[in-house]
Amino acid sequence: MKKRLYYLALGLVAIAASSCSKLDNYPAPSNTITGETVDAGTGNSVQTEIGGRGTRVKLLETSYSANPTPYYFQSMQDGTFNNSKIFAATYNVSVEGPFVPLVQTDNTGKVTSDQSQNITIKGTNTVTHLNFKVEPFLRIDWVGQPVFNADSTVTVQFKISRGTTNANYQQDITNINLYVSNTKYDGDNNYDPRYSTLVSYSGTNGTSLIGQTITMTTTGGALPQQDVYFRIGARINAGLDEYNYSTPLSVKYP
Amino acid sequence: MKRYIYILITILTVGGSACRKINVPPPNIIQDKDVFTSAPGIQAYMARLYSQLPIEDFRYSPARGLNFFWIISPTPATTGEALSRDQTSAMQENFGGWNWDIWHGSYHIIHDCDYFIETLPKYASSFSKDQVNQWLGEAYFVRGMTYFALVKRFGGVPIVNKTLDFTVGGSVETLKIPRSSEKAVWDQVASDFDFAIANLPATNADYSDGSRANKYVAAAFKSRAMLYAGTIAKYNTITLFDGSQNQLCGIPASAAAGYFQQAVDAAKTLDGVYSLYLKGWSATDKTAQYQNFVNLFSDASSPESIFVREYNYPNSVHGYDAYNVPRQLIGPNGYSSEVNPTLDFVEMFDGVPKDANGKIQTLDASSHYLLFNNTMDLFANAEPRLRASVILPGDVFKGQSIEIRRAIYTGPSAGGISPILPAGSKSQYPTANLVQSANAGQTAFTLPDGSKMNPAGASGIFTGDQTCAISGFSVRKWLDPNLPTSQVLENNETQTWIEMRYAEVLLNRAEAEYELGTDVSDAFNIINQIRSRAGAIPLASAGAMTIDTIRKERRKELAFENKTYWDLRRWRIFDKEQNGTIYRVLMPFYSSTAGKYFFDARTDERNAVYTYDPKWYYEQIPGGAISKSPNLIQNPGY
Repeated sequence: MKKRLYYLALGLVAIAASSCSKLDNYPAPSNTITGETVDAGTGNSVQTEIGGRGTRVKLLETSYSANPTPYYFQSMQDGTFNNSKIFAATYNVSVEGPFVPLVQTDNTGKVTSDQSQNITIKGTNTVTHLNFKVEPFLRIDWVGQPVFNADSTVTVQFKISRGTTNANYQQDITNINLYVSNTKYDGDNNYDPRYSTLVSYSGTNGTSLIGQTITMTTTGGALPQQDVYFRIGARINAGLDEYNYSTPLSVKYP
Repeated sequence: MKRYIYILITILTVGGSACRKINVPPPNIIQDKDVFTSAPGIQAYMARLYSQLPIEDFRYSPARGLNFFWIISPTPATTGEALSRDQTSAMQENFGGWNWDIWHGSYHIIHDCDYFIETLPKYASSFSKDQVNQWLGEAYFVRGMTYFALVKRFGGVPIVNKTLDFTVGGSVETLKIPRSSEKAVWDQVASDFDFAIANLPATNADYSDGSRANKYVAAAFKSRAMLYAGTIAKYNTITLFDGSQNQLCGIPASAAAGYFQQAVDAAKTLDGVYSLYLKGWSATDKTAQYQNFVNLFSDASSPESIFVREYNYPNSVHGYDAYNVPRQLIGPNGYSSEVNPTLDFVEMFDGVPKDANGKIQTLDASSHYLLFNNTMDLFANAEPRLRASVILPGDVFKGQSIEIRRAIYTGPSAGGISPILPAGSKSQYPTANLVQSANAGQTAFTLPDGSKMNPAGASGIFTGDQTCAISGFSVRKWLDPNLPTSQVLENNETQTWIEMRYAEVLLNRAEAEYELGTDVSDAFNIINQIRSRAGAIPLASAGAMTIDTIRKERRKELAFENKTYWDLRRWRIFDKEQNGTIYRVLMPFYSSTAGKYFFDARTDERNAVYTYDPKWYYEQIPGGAISKSPNLIQNPGY
């Protein structure tokens, strides 16, 4: 009787123990999507800001549902993106940011143009390159180098032009800002408010500056004696009002 | 061994035969017939509906949502009305992090309303027809309010006007109701309020004190909701469509006029039923006008209060005074000074001296500080409503002069004092020539005449801990002047919240009329009624009035009532006002050599930058809701 109980107990322990091995039977994602958001007019990448208000990549995993929940990942500041943890599957890929949307709808919600890309990723450790040609709302180009003034402020010059002729995205410029930061990750979400110069425009006042050389100077007196980065951000009242940016520019304190 | 088997068989036989299913409802669970057959049962049901009604009252803040006690990032500190030491940037609402989640919570209320609407008619014979109509009207009112709370946050949401039954093992697909268009939800709000207006009596038969709905309450909220919908149709630029071309975010602009008209019509039904509070008002006496505006928020018999939320110790309480009294009146468990009105807000009022740029005048013609014997001298002509809304430095509250002083200036004053910092500077004040205090434990400074004075005022400003009037002002509205300091505690107060008052209904009507352009003279008369009650200078002519005149009046009248947050959203100007914005403050100083006060107007010393992201006009649908029902399409940008 006792022996039988021992056998029974032993059997139960054996069954219980063997069922406790947790093995995820699905391998970790190992494929990579990498690429760039490129200005269709100039071939340069479209500058953006890091974090939630910059360019982001939208993946729709279309193999299981026609209407899946989107998966997003954020682009880097210079307009490139890279995600090395992508499952093998079928995707519809597009980018969202301060440029004419790749998927456009009219005012009743009908899709009028769709430049998103469909890709199929198979196997493991693959790398998929994707380039998206877009029309940025605004292009911002530096003119010359920043100038250190006698009072230790800095003056910069730049030009703004429209990146698209699409009639739906010719809204007026609402803001032109000179951001000052001590890192290159300059943008509307990261700047030193003591020295940055922010200008809001109403009506066509900002728009009339398009094509002209614009001069802006830092505010708040002498800049601190450390390396500083300058960046220009400008936006029109379209979409979610995201900013277009110049490249960040660094100046050494003389 | 055999014995065990017999025992087992016996147990099984006895146990098995006991499994007879008897059809008796569980006596420990309250049944419909217990609730829906007696007036107290209905009252209990109503108590829950009203207690969950999503209104932004004393227990609301964007940081912690509805019905939560801890209000240290108060709503006015997100709108530019005020600064708070615990709030340093623009923000969107934070759902469910601290308390119940607005999405799921709202659908619980809607379910409770639907259940009530479906069940009460089955027991109608227990009550009079009037009772049944009133209670149904209240359920529709609560449901309309709840859809209103959802649509103003999310745009189009699922419309669920019947209880959903799920049988175990059944399909869940029918429960995954997709979002309706934003317009359809606003129309649902309107139709729920219309039902309530048609069925509710003029006075609620159960509670006539404004804590439960009557037909005018429903009409007043309809005017608020329809004005909201009209402004969305007119000013919104964010759109989102689903695959079937339902517009989930945004309303066609062509619908604006219809909504504005509904707002006007609903507001006009309150004519002659409610009126502006004028009990202690006098056309010629500014002190009486001030006291009248103060009393408006505490007089239980005010003819202006339309819908209120009452509190009761210890079941339902708040801590408004504990969080917001000036520092020198701090209660036993701390806090104080969470709402410090900005100079930008104060400058909107009449009677504040202005310079050529329209900003407060603190400098004389030769750019030296103007000197004053008392800090209140600058505000000698201030509009009474400003004093009733904001404690100005040196004004009297609870019998004390509220002392707000940034520091003592010890520099020379002969020939005038030049600004401490260059105009527009966002730098810290230099320490030279300034004696300041880090906290309320102050070391008195000896003035040239030998007398002693603390560097900072008793209510601040302290440079180290910011439990003080960090903007140079402290909030006055809602504070109870009769509450003893020993009772200024969290979770201890029962001051009534006035969610809807007649002044708002008038302002809704004026704004909608102006947007329609049909009856601008009525809008003009309304604005002047509001202004004269406030003690402000009446407008000269209807022609000089713009939409900004009406909006500004609304912001002043309804300040600190958690309304401006929604107004800035529906006008779609939040992102224009908070666009790299650092709000302005007014720092009073005492010059020891001149023996007088001067004021320095500058930007917030903390350099707290407010930038409102336009995508916040439509809040993020909680991820948990989308996981449960993948048919829900997320709003743009999230």
